[in-house]
Amino acid sequence: MSRYRISGKGRVDHSAPVSFTFDGKTYRGLRGDTVASALLANGVHLMGRSFKYHRPRGAVSAGSEEPNALIGTSRGKGQFEPNTRATVQELRDGLVTESQNKWPHLSFDIGAVNDRAYMLFSAGFYYKTFMWPKSFWDKIYEPVIRGAAGLGKSPTEVDPDRYASRYLHTDVLVIGAGAAGIAAALSAAQSGADVTLVDENAEMGGSLLSDPAVQIDGKPAWDWVEAQLARLRAAGVRLMTRTTAIGYYHQNMVGLCQRLTDHLDNPPANAPRERMWRVRAEQVVLAQGALEKPLVFDGNDRPGVMLAGAAQTYLHKYGVKVGDTPAVVTSHDSAYFAAFDLADSGARVAAIIDTRDAVRPDLLEGARKRGIQVLSGHTVTTTKGRLRVKSVRANPVRGTHVGAGRDIACDCLLMSGGWTPSLHLFSHTKGSLGWDAGSNTFLPDRKTEACEIAGAGRGLWGYEAVLADGAAAGLRALEGLNRAGHSAAFTVANDRPGTGVTHTELPTDGNPGKAKAFIDFQNDVTAKDIRLAVREGMRSIEHVKRYTTNGMATDQGKMSNINGLMIAADALGKQPPQVGLTTFRPPYTPTSFGAFCGYLRGDTFQLTRKTPIDPWAEANGAVFEPVAQWRRAWYFPKAGEDMHAAVLRECKATRASLGIFDASTLGKIEVAGPDAVEFMNRMYTNPWTKLQPGRCRYGLLLGEDGFIRDDGVIGRLSPDLFHVTTTTGGAARVLTMMEDYLQTEWPDLDVWLTSTTEQWATVALNGPNALKMLKPLVEGVDWDDFPHMSCAECTVAGLPARLFRLSFTGEVGFEVNVPARHGLTLWTALMEAGKPYDICPYGTETMHVLRAEKGYIIVGQDTDGTVTPQDAGLDWAIGKAKKDFVGKRSLSRPDIVAKGRKQLVGLLTEDGSLLQEGAQIVLDPNQPKPMKMVGHVTSSYQSTMGHPIAMAVIEGGFDKMGETVFIPMPDGVRKARITSTVFYDPDNARLKA
Amino acid sequence: MTNQKHQFDASPVVVEDLAPALRLSLRVKPAHRETLGRALGLDLPTRVGSRAAANGAEALCLGPDEWLIVAPEGTDLASPARAAYADAPHSLVDISDREITLRLSGPAVLDLLAACCPRNIAAMPVGAAARTVFDSATVILWRDGPTDFRMDVWRSFAPHVRSLLTQVRTEIAAGL
Amino acid sequence: MLLIHCPYCEDTLPELEFTYAGEAHIARPADPSALSDDEWRDFLFIRTNARGPHYERWRHIGCGRFFNALRDTVSDRFLTTYKAGEARRPLTNEAAE
Ligand SMILES: [Zn+2]
Repeated sequence: MSRYRISGKGRVDHSAPVSFTFDGKTYRGLRGDTVASALLANGVHLMGRSFKYHRPRGAVSAGSEEPNALIGTSRGKGQFEPNTRATVQELRDGLVTESQNKWPHLSFDIGAVNDRAYMLFSAGFYYKTFMWPKSFWDKIYEPVIRGAAGLGKSPTEVDPDRYASRYLHTDVLVIGAGAAGIAAALSAAQSGADVTLVDENAEMGGSLLSDPAVQIDGKPAWDWVEAQLARLRAAGVRLMTRTTAIGYYHQNMVGLCQRLTDHLDNPPANAPRERMWRVRAEQVVLAQGALEKPLVFDGNDRPGVMLAGAAQTYLHKYGVKVGDTPAVVTSHDSAYFAAFDLADSGARVAAIIDTRDAVRPDLLEGARKRGIQVLSGHTVTTTKGRLRVKSVRANPVRGTHVGAGRDIACDCLLMSGGWTPSLHLFSHTKGSLGWDAGSNTFLPDRKTEACEIAGAGRGLWGYEAVLADGAAAGLRALEGLNRAGHSAAFTVANDRPGTGVTHTELPTDGNPGKAKAFIDFQNDVTAKDIRLAVREGMRSIEHVKRYTTNGMATDQGKMSNINGLMIAADALGKQPPQVGLTTFRPPYTPTSFGAFCGYLRGDTFQLTRKTPIDPWAEANGAVFEPVAQWRRAWYFPKAGEDMHAAVLRECKATRASLGIFDASTLGKIEVAGPDAVEFMNRMYTNPWTKLQPGRCRYGLLLGEDGFIRDDGVIGRLSPDLFHVTTTTGGAARVLTMMEDYLQTEWPDLDVWLTSTTEQWATVALNGPNALKMLKPLVEGVDWDDFPHMSCAECTVAGLPARLFRLSFTGEVGFEVNVPARHGLTLWTALMEAGKPYDICPYGTETMHVLRAEKGYIIVGQDTDGTVTPQDAGLDWAIGKAKKDFVGKRSLSRPDIVAKGRKQLVGLLTEDGSLLQEGAQIVLDPNQPKPMKMVGHVTSSYQSTMGHPIAMAVIEGGFDKMGETVFIPMPDGVRKARITSTVFYDPDNARLKA
Repeated sequence: MTNQKHQFDASPVVVEDLAPALRLSLRVKPAHRETLGRALGLDLPTRVGSRAAANGAEALCLGPDEWLIVAPEGTDLASPARAAYADAPHSLVDISDREITLRLSGPAVLDLLAACCPRNIAAMPVGAAARTVFDSATVILWRDGPTDFRMDVWRSFAPHVRSLLTQVRTEIAAGL
Repeated sequence: MLLIHCPYCEDTLPELEFTYAGEAHIARPADPSALSDDEWRDFLFIRTNARGPHYERWRHIGCGRFFNALRDTVSDRFLTTYKAGEARRPLTNEAAE
């Protein structure tokens, strides 16, 4: 039995010891413990060092709001997690944990020198200290400060765990399964409503688990909770524990993170560690309760100083007495019950120091009965003790006068500054908060979502009030679904109602400028920092927050916001509501990246599309590149070849004889209907009326702004049917654009669009032997009438096909389309038939080189959304006689016809070196910097002609043919001559062969 | 120890490939819907997501002027459609190879779908269908029974979808 | 994540099934060549950029249709949606759906 564990007490399993390590030392806890409760049971309060001053810290809470007790946990290789809250992490056999922000070890830490130099680290120190001299930043400030600061350490290995996702649609989502949440769920689960009740803790019951003496409807609290959960389960309510509502989004979408395996000794194989739920609820009930506030006094962060409610939870849930001689300092009635319960469990309560003058008689009587002295009208001015509190100084306060203090010996100090409704999720909805002057806190005001707030979240205190409120909220949610239910009433015995007052810093007889009275424990922000920020000119609470970092730690100021606000308001001489509250943002508690990623990691990190011929490419050693969502074969290296060698071989083989290329990713759109030709005339720049069935044409598509959007070869298969091809990346965009015009501008046209990109597998054959090789495989084509730019429906290798004669290489070329299921069969047949011609499979890089040699553009590479047909030298593709087409009007806009536009030209370097795509071009390399850049390189390749070629857009490029331009690069300035973009076979002799 | 007896497939969810079928995308304006429907022998439903079957073929209304027709391979709907073209201009495009179809079934099939479908699939009536999204892929989901679905997915998206389905099945099998 | 009512499917569905398609009620001029350069510029580039109710277009993956919406750009809420080609819904009719 651990020293501070009370035999048989609590909800932990006393017959199930669990061993774990903390900073290398092995401890024993019990099944049901958190790391914090198990350490406390062993008398360990020192659990970490603070972020800035490296002050020793212990657990201040017993829940997810914990700012201090952050530990690293490890479950195996790659399964290290920093900044885990020891108050949340459940014990599991063999769990390895470590403290953070300490060196060389927790009880002696070099970085704690920051604490003595605290004057240097006051509010705004980041902004002030490191401003001067500038050169100090790299060499001194950054390494030293960063080395000592930082919160935990990042994991360095790939996370091997699995994570999962779910969408959930439910009628009523109740968040928080304390008294209010359970009552709300009971009300809502009538009339067949689908109800989901979630709670972030391992067990449902909320604070009732820490108040076992309370009786509801004649049952002890724990029995009542168990009975109600059974009722809910029987009613079909979805009960989810270890499930944190992390964010509340539009229209009742709530994100839940469910922790599935971190508490298990041996998780099932392949089980996900966490599951992210995206819940759409018709109605939401927020029953998240309230969070206890610390009091602000010098030394309020010493290990052993903790919230009174936390001590009560450790006692009742975990059977842990946090100390033998606790002292209590409070401004709220609730702390008395913690003191009473500890006293009843054998602790000797040193004193209850109450900041209020008047104390409720029944509480005084309770204290008297237990022999506890009550010092009302007192303040606490400091605590003592090195790594653990050993005394607290209490001073009487009369008006504004603080009298002489006396030290009261204690081994822990339980504080309560009252309770703050947990309204983080409500704030995510942009619901407004109203200041309640009575309770000195913000309460929910105007709602923006279909939600109800119940219980302590609405400032209510005492179980009877909270249960009634929860039941009413659940009923309102049910009525919001247009369903009826009956209202429930609960009778409560031994209830623990209470009230309190809210303070700024507690009054002191010491120098307030020297007090280390913490507000934000995690970010080491003191009361003095807030006042300094105000003195230095910060007026808005958002500025105070950023200047001091108050509330900016991973706990998002769950404990510190109201204390910070009270002090800022006091310093500003304003009322708290005039100062306002900072914004809460999701997630409510720190959430792992894995939970957000879900399944989208590794192979499924992003969608990757594959063609029907992809398996052949993979089996034949292709190197792939991503193109839009597709993976495409980039080149096919043979043994010993690098990319350059492979591409050059593929290019030469195609120019010399025959190349084969998987073009299946090309976008394809079937344009069909009586008005098909009219539609084509309106969409594309080219004229289509006279294009005969069986022929095809290069089509150019502009946006309404006149800039090139897409291009492709388009075949007319019959008077009413066009087979349109688009670029790989443009397929979806072009179809959407066409649909848009059709649906919204020209709904009168009788024409329809169908994506056939994936209906067809497309294989391109190019080279002087393409025709010879293909002919014997084709049936149904009249070769005497099948010149360049023809198309036909026929069979190829016995497969139904659409055959196009076209070229993107400058060689005789074909594109064979067959139904996708036959893609691989066609490819294999063509590879076989091409053997006599040394057929060479090539990838996208060779395709790029061959087209660049011919000056064929690639939309999106040689154009960038600001290039007109004229700029690209494609005026010939414009149907000049057409009255209108998309983008036509823009081609005569002043900016488009102005001189000096960037125009697409060829570039040949003087020294034969390869230019870099994207490199900037200047006319005079000796001009002062910044130089006037006149354009950039869009395409650049080693070519089959023995020298590199490039294309570029250059201001007024067409008028600069033959002139020299300069490309400054890190290793020197390149010189290049402007040429035509057609480098190879300018007369198209090879196409006609 | 005795050998295990005949065992039903106890998998909470089963994913199977279905054999290819004839799939046609039909587009026709509302004014000509009935004429064309008569020619095809199909009563083309008008509510998005509703289905009608006749003579082994099934038509699903995907939009106000769009139907997906599924029929056994070899069914000739092109000829009667062509014959009606002058009276009821339309577009009928063979997309049999554009998609592949998976059958998803088993007691946990709704969990499987809820992993990646934002739409409330549980609320979809049996006998309905919808074009929706499964993760980042557009799919058509047909609900053939309470725990019996078909999913049409574009061919190139299938590897991604299958990989997700495998992950979710593994997760469901783990039982947490 | 928003819920959007598709006027063609007559169903309220998750935003992931929809894509935004720019401001609504900007018709392409019947004869662009009749427009002055400034008029054409306005058609191309000048948009309302409303703070508050904004007429905009969305497209539903399910039925493939573009439709109009009135959405409050401050609250992000859809006030109403209606079919393409229908007249602009009045602002006073905000809650109608
Ligand atoms: Zn729709």
